Amino acid sequence: MNATPELTLLQTCLMAVIQAVCVVLFIFIIVPLTIYAERKVLGHAQDRLGATRIAGHRVGLTGWLNRGMWRMGKVPFLSYWRGLPMLVGDIAKLFLKEDIVPTKADRAIFLVAPALSLIASVVVFAAVSFYPGALFTFPKFVPVLGGVPFNGFITDMNVGLLFILGIASVGVYGIVLGAWASNSKYPLLGGLRSGAQIVSYEVPLTLSLLVPVVLTGTLNFNDMTRKLALETSPLAAPLMAVGFLVYFTCGFAETNRMPFDMPEAENELVAGFHTEYSGMRFGFFYLAEYINMVVVSALASAFFLGGPYLLPFGLHRFVQDWPVLGAPNALWYVVKMILLLFVFIWVRGTIPRYRYDQVMAVAWKYLIPFTLVLVVLAAALRFAA
Amino acid sequence: MVETFLAFIGRNLFLVFGLMAVGGALALVFSKNAVHSVVGFLFSMLSVAGCYLCMSAEFLAVAQLLVYAGGIVVLFLFVVMLVEMTKFKEKGLFQSQTPYALVAVAIGAAAIVGVFVSTWFTKSADVALTLDPGLARGLDVAKENSQAVSRGLFAGYLLPFEILSVILLVALVGAVTLAKKERV
Repeated sequence: MNATPELTLLQTCLMAVIQAVCVVLFIFIIVPLTIYAERKVLGHAQDRLGATRIAGHRVGLTGWLNRGMWRMGKVPFLSYWRGLPMLVGDIAKLFLKEDIVPTKADRAIFLVAPALSLIASVVVFAAVSFYPGALFTFPKFVPVLGGVPFNGFITDMNVGLLFILGIASVGVYGIVLGAWASNSKYPLLGGLRSGAQIVSYEVPLTLSLLVPVVLTGTLNFNDMTRKLALETSPLAAPLMAVGFLVYFTCGFAETNRMPFDMPEAENELVAGFHTEYSGMRFGFFYLAEYINMVVVSALASAFFLGGPYLLPFGLHRFVQDWPVLGAPNALWYVVKMILLLFVFIWVRGTIPRYRYDQVMAVAWKYLIPFTLVLVVLAAALRFAA
Repeated sequence: MVETFLAFIGRNLFLVFGLMAVGGALALVFSKNAVHSVVGFLFSMLSVAGCYLCMSAEFLAVAQLLVYAGGIVVLFLFVVMLVEMTKFKEKGLFQSQTPYALVAVAIGAAAIVGVFVSTWFTKSADVALTLDPGLARGLDVAKENSQAVSRGLFAGYLLPFEILSVILLVALVGAVTLAKKERV
C-alpha cells in the first residue's frame, strides 16, 4: 500500500507485536463496553433502566438530581455512568470464581477448548484493516522504530478475506470440543446444534461475502474497501445492501446471538455448550462471543458499509472530493462498527428465538439460494461494467 | 545480532511447522480416543497451512485452513463425537488390517524417500514450477498467487478442473444412494 520497503526484519517483527498489542487492547476496551451497553440497551428495550445500582444512585449531586427527575416523571439519564463499575465487579467475579473441571470430563480438551474459541476470534484481526495507510510515523528519536510508519492494519495480505474466513471457521472447534469434553448430555446437545448451525450458516455467509469479492475482483482487504467505495458502479448499491442484510443475518447465527442462539437455548438446554464451565473458562467463551460480534460488525462495515470511507454501499464516490469527509478515516470505521454492535443488542431485545428446525430452514431453503442469485447478479453487473 | 537470530528463525520456520504437523499426525495415529485423534488431525492441518505460508503460498495456506481445518475436520469431529468407539475396539476391527496397512505404508514411504533423495540437496525452486509462464504474464506470482492460481484453474486447466468437480459430485451421489434405505 505505502512505499516503505526498507523495514528491517527486526522492525517488522516489533511493529507486528506492537500493533497486535494495540488491537488486543482495542478489543478488550470495546468488548466490556459492549457488555455494559447490552445491559443498558436491553434494559431500555424492556422498559427499565438496566444496571444503575453500583456507586449508589442516592448519593451526591447527581443522585439528588436523579431523584428529582424521577419525581418529575423523567428517566434520570445521569444515572447512566453508575452502572459502569459493575463491569469491574463482573470481571473480578469471573477471575476469582473457582474453576471446576468435572471428574468425568476429558481434562485436556476441556481445558483447551475455551482458549481455542478465544484465540480464533482474536486472530481474525490480523487481517482486518482499520485504515488503508499509515496512521502516524514514529519520530526519529525513537530507538529502533524511528521513521517507521504505524499502519492502520497489521498485515496487508493478498488473501485477507479468505484468511479471516478460515480463522473464523476454526472457532467452532472451541464450542464443539468443549461440549464433547464436558461429558454431559446438555452440553453435547448444545455443541451438536452449534456445530450444525455454524457449518450451515458459513455457506450463505461466505456466499454473501462473494458479492463484494465479485464486484471488486480482489481478496485484499484494503483494495476491496477502496474499490467498493470508489470504483464500483452505483448500480451495485442495492445488491450490496441486500448482501449486507444477508451477511448480518448469518453473522447472528455465527456468533450464536439471540434469534439464533440455539447452542445455549436456556429453556431447553440449561446453558448449552458451556453448562459445565465456570470461572474464567466460562469467561473465555463469553468473551469469544462478544469478540465474534466485533468481528462480524468489523467485516460488515468494511465490505458493505464502506469501512473507513464515509458512505456505505459504494456511494462514497459521490463525496470523495469533499474536504474532510471525502478522505478515509479510521473513525468512520469504528463508528460503523459500534452502530452495528448496537444493532446486535437491539435485535436481541426485539426478536424472539427461532425454533431449531426453523433456523436450519432459513439457512438452507432461503438464504443459500437467495445468495446464489445475488452472486450471479453481481457477476452480471461486473461483466456488464 | 537480533537481526541474524530472527532471520535464522524465519528460515527455519518451515521445519518448526513441519515437525508440528508430524507431531499432530502421530497423535492422530497413536491416540486411543477417537476425538483426540481428530484434534491431532486438526493440529496437523493447521501446521501444514503454516508450512504453505512459509513457502509464501498464501492462497494455498488459507485454502487449507478454510477447507480442511474449517470444513472437513469439523464433519469428522461431528461423526466421531457421536459414535461409541469402544465397541469397535473390543471387536478388534482396527487391528485386523495392520499387516496390509504396514505394507502400504512401506511402499508409500519408499516412494516418498525415493523422490526426496533425488531432490534433497539440489537448489530449491524460486519460481512456480507447474504453472505455464504464459498464464502468469504480468503477475507477481509470489505476491498475487490467488490470481495466479485462478488463471491456472479457469484459463489453463479448466477442463480437468471441471472433471474433478464432477468426480466429487459422483462421490456425493454414490454416498447418498448407498446410505439411503429403500423406500416404497
